[in-house]
Amino acid sequence: MEPYGNSGGVSSSASSSSSSSITKPHEIDGYLAEAGYKVRSSDLRHVAQRLERLENVMVNSPNDLAHFASDAVIYNPSDLASWVDSLLSASDLSISDLDFPGVIINNHPTADTWTEIPPISAAASAPPQNHHQVTAVMEEDSGIRLVQLLVTCAESVQRGDLALAGSIIETMQALLTRVNTGCGIGKVAGYFIDALSRRVFTPQSVGSDGGSAHENELLYHYFYEACPYLKFAHFTANQAILEAFHGHDCVHVIDFNLMHGLQWPALIQALALRPGGPPLLRLTGIGPPSPDGRDSLREIGLRLAELARSVNVRFAFRGVAASRLEDVKPWMLQVSPKEAVAVNSIMQLHRLLGSDSNRNSPIEMMLGWIRNLNPKIVTVVEQEADHNKAGFLERFTEALYYYSNMFDSLEACGAMQPDKTLAEMYIQREICNVVCCEGLARVERHEPLSKWRTRLELAGFSPLHLGSNAFKQASMLLTLFSAEGYRVEEKEGCLTLGWHSRPLIAASAWQVMPLPEATATATNPLGIVNHSANHV
Amino acid sequence: MEDNNEVNEVDLTDSKMVVPLNTWVLISNFKLSYNLLRRPDGTFNRHLAEFLDRKVAPNANPVDGVLSFDVIIDKGTSLLTRIYQPASADAPQLNILDFHKPVGVEVLPVIIFFHGGSFAHSSANSGIYDILCRRLVGNCKAVVVSVNYRRAPENRFPCAYDDGWTTLKWVNSRSWLKSTKDSKVHIYLAGDSSGGNIVHNVALRAAESGIEVLGNILLNPMFGGLERTESEERLDGKYFVTIQDRDWYWRAFLPEGEDRDHPACNPFGPRGISLKDVKFPKSLVVVAGLDLVQDWQLAYAKGLEKAGQDVKLLFLDKATIGFYLLPNNDHFYTVMNEISSFVRSDC
Repeated sequence: MEPYGNSGGVSSSASSSSSSSITKPHEIDGYLAEAGYKVRSSDLRHVAQRLERLENVMVNSPNDLAHFASDAVIYNPSDLASWVDSLLSASDLSISDLDFPGVIINNHPTADTWTEIPPISAAASAPPQNHHQVTAVMEEDSGIRLVQLLVTCAESVQRGDLALAGSIIETMQALLTRVNTGCGIGKVAGYFIDALSRRVFTPQSVGSDGGSAHENELLYHYFYEACPYLKFAHFTANQAILEAFHGHDCVHVIDFNLMHGLQWPALIQALALRPGGPPLLRLTGIGPPSPDGRDSLREIGLRLAELARSVNVRFAFRGVAASRLEDVKPWMLQVSPKEAVAVNSIMQLHRLLGSDSNRNSPIEMMLGWIRNLNPKIVTVVEQEADHNKAGFLERFTEALYYYSNMFDSLEACGAMQPDKTLAEMYIQREICNVVCCEGLARVERHEPLSKWRTRLELAGFSPLHLGSNAFKQASMLLTLFSAEGYRVEEKEGCLTLGWHSRPLIAASAWQVMPLPEATATATNPLGIVNHSANHV
Repeated sequence: MEDNNEVNEVDLTDSKMVVPLNTWVLISNFKLSYNLLRRPDGTFNRHLAEFLDRKVAPNANPVDGVLSFDVIIDKGTSLLTRIYQPASADAPQLNILDFHKPVGVEVLPVIIFFHGGSFAHSSANSGIYDILCRRLVGNCKAVVVSVNYRRAPENRFPCAYDDGWTTLKWVNSRSWLKSTKDSKVHIYLAGDSSGGNIVHNVALRAAESGIEVLGNILLNPMFGGLERTESEERLDGKYFVTIQDRDWYWRAFLPEGEDRDHPACNPFGPRGISLKDVKFPKSLVVVAGLDLVQDWQLAYAKGLEKAGQDVKLLFLDKATIGFYLLPNNDHFYTVMNEISSFVRSDC
């Protein structure tokens, strides 16, 4: 009797099975890939054997199972081979314990006689390019009409027919008075009509920063409070940083956008409580220069230092003022070779994507010097959207879907006024930038995780998977301060937070890929830490 | 009684005999994961479940002639459906307006699909169900509306049925889904495992309310009863499923304190209602010969027959649960063809 029968009627003996297979053994099984699992055909037997052994573990030690499910940290469940291996090593029984003499498991003919249906080739399982995700709420007729007009208007703008675009805008503004602008399509349409109106009627008013840095910080605060996106970004990044800092006594966090430093109290407290005691924590916060002589970076640093003192964490802060991220140079960060460095970028990297196909693109340069810092971890959170397409209409419709979902999700959280409006204004600035600006003025160049993955991998980084513990924490925290409808999803080691089935923000962690021997250099171009009085 | 030195052995030989290797791996992996998620006290490790579930995004660009998009049809309950439509690759890119455009076919079957998972697992955007729905569209030239119904144990009976009913009413009132021949939406209900059970119960509600459902498709539907049947005892643990796990899921879904003769579980049992003279849709019931609840499924088909209803039973001798998840066996193609004929009988 042969195991793994072929109810499909195709049979072949072992020696000919590989030649009659459509797929080469190292290729991924196409059917399983479609279901979301990546297993090489050649690994299928191994995985099957492991599953069988796990079955025995479960039958014999059901309590281990309960403990396991609650305690073990699982990474990247798509990778079946490593998932089953990690399960087995996490279970109390070691693999050798399972080889009892004369036991039934190995009593049947092994590997050679298993037959299989030739799997479909891996090519069919590659994710389709040009993915276009739509999650929508079906609207009533006037809502549909508004969307029709918005899209037609954007089409006119793309064609350069500003006269037509202008008259459509006027029609839409009239229609808005008859539509519920409190929620749904009416709400988001209002903002898009406004953005189009600026682009068409007052183009000279856009291209500026969209408000002072101070205003931005204020609006950021309301956005932070009104919905869970930034909180999710912070605690997911912190979880990964905490784990990366394990075992290190000197750690240095570089925050690409300090704002109010809202991310850091939680990390400081977590480090204070870590077994073995806290490390020496240095925080370098980057932010725009403050107007009128204030040093807002330093003020925040002082507050964080006070907190660190209160929980006995040795702490040093450095502020780096720069109007643009690309103006920051590595020497300003004063990284020491003895420190474990974490680079933290919450919705900043996309701002560096605005240039032509220049060899020295800002993003490549930045990723290059980040890599040269040799960080232990780079945490990246970005909007999960494709707002960097060249064509205006495509960009516009993508943004319409994205921000519809964003506004709907904000609505569900039920923030009070005026906080909710102020949070919306934060979002509105993004919308304006995506819709109204071009060239260097357009900084909100969001790209999806799949593109960031490629870019980071090309720059010499490899993913550090976020696991089930981070997922669980994120899910639990969501139930505390958000609403029904938010979803955390795991995607190949990264976590996304979204509204229903639409991810809106993606968090990932990265480490430096080791350089090949030949190009490794011993020089540290950064110098030693400066213990000047600048430090708080 | 076992010797203290002997360790319990699980003999998985039977299941390995009848399914291809990749199917065995897929279903065994589910079995393993699901074992980790069910707690003896009846609670469910939902966080871990969502982490492990492989989800896929919808894609409004056609892939292999099918496009999909998600719609929230009820804000109050956050009810989401994923809609799949046939589309040609060279059609201009869809934007939100086009979703309201009539599909404009003379006779367009619209299949409301309820995914399986024993009422507790999976979602409309689970990879295995997304791909199954795409195949249904391709095969039947139908629109498929996959319902992301609320799950047990957090949401017990009748939440899943309520969500199905909400979806049925919504689909029935979409002018863009109407067949041009008679200006009506041609609705079929389909589902596997718990989804099959939901099909029956939503059809019941439809019959009571006068919304016409043209046909029910039940793939390995989840039914049960207090009694232990011969197939349950014979096949317990042999083909991925155990009586114990079936009992757990019923306890999680049925109202607290209820037993398996509740009519939701046992529609033709001692507490079942009669379907005689009820205008019930024609039914296609697919039973896998190695599914341990087959006696209940066969009893269901028999119950429909005795009540004078139109039922076609497709019994697949050597099929296990989940045979339709991968297109690597004859049963898959047999069933796809049957479903296609079933929904296209008036095209």
